Amino acid sequence: MGEIIQIYNDYKDRADFLTIYIREAHPLDEWQMKSNEKDKDNVCYVQPKTLEQRINIANDFTQRFKFPLPFGVDEMNDAANNAYAAWPERLYIIDETGRISYKGGNGPFKYDPKEVRAWLAQRYGDVTHAGS
Amino acid sequence: MKRWLIWTSISVGSLLIIGFVGLSFMAGSPKDALAMVRFALPHMHVGNLKPGDSAPDVRLVALDGKTRFRLHERTQQRPLVLIFGSFT
Repeated sequence: MGEIIQIYNDYKDRADFLTIYIREAHPLDEWQMKSNEKDKDNVCYVQPKTLEQRINIANDFTQRFKFPLPFGVDEMNDAANNAYAAWPERLYIIDETGRISYKGGNGPFKYDPKEVRAWLAQRYGDVTHAGS
Repeated sequence: MKRWLIWTSISVGSLLIIGFVGLSFMAGSPKDALAMVRFALPHMHVGNLKPGDSAPDVRLVALDGKTRFRLHERTQQRPLVLIFGSFT
């Protein structure tokens, strides 16, 4: 997530960003990962069953990491996740005409913020704000 | 004929066991391998969207839990970077 925040800080004057929170990848009641227990942040949640629970986790996330990007939450019917084949994580860039310009691979192995940076750099030139 | 059947079952059985053991190593433990098959695979799709397609205009909920907005409201004059993900 750090790399995404860096890209956001570098390009937010030129492009818009939107984070979309979808169903959990590794909740306690499904495929819990040991790394999530060992993590100092102790990210352990059960899969939200209601929109309220989903909103609560999203708020936990943005507050804990002081996450600066605009945020939206997928409805409980997983409409956004299904439309974009997003789970567990995926990046897209939509151009000004509302068409998909870039579709990233799905996470965790093919999820690559560097490709988003390259897309933005090709269009707007390299931007790196030191210390941001 | 019977012998042929036995050998086929043994081969298929061994392949399944090797596959499961391999998956267990990859995922971390046999429990993780089962969880991966049960929970991850049904959600993992490549999807039909390709560059050049019009972006589906889905409805999302703001962090206040009440306000709804549509994705296309955010695609105005500038490109929109979408980051899909969850906490865990």
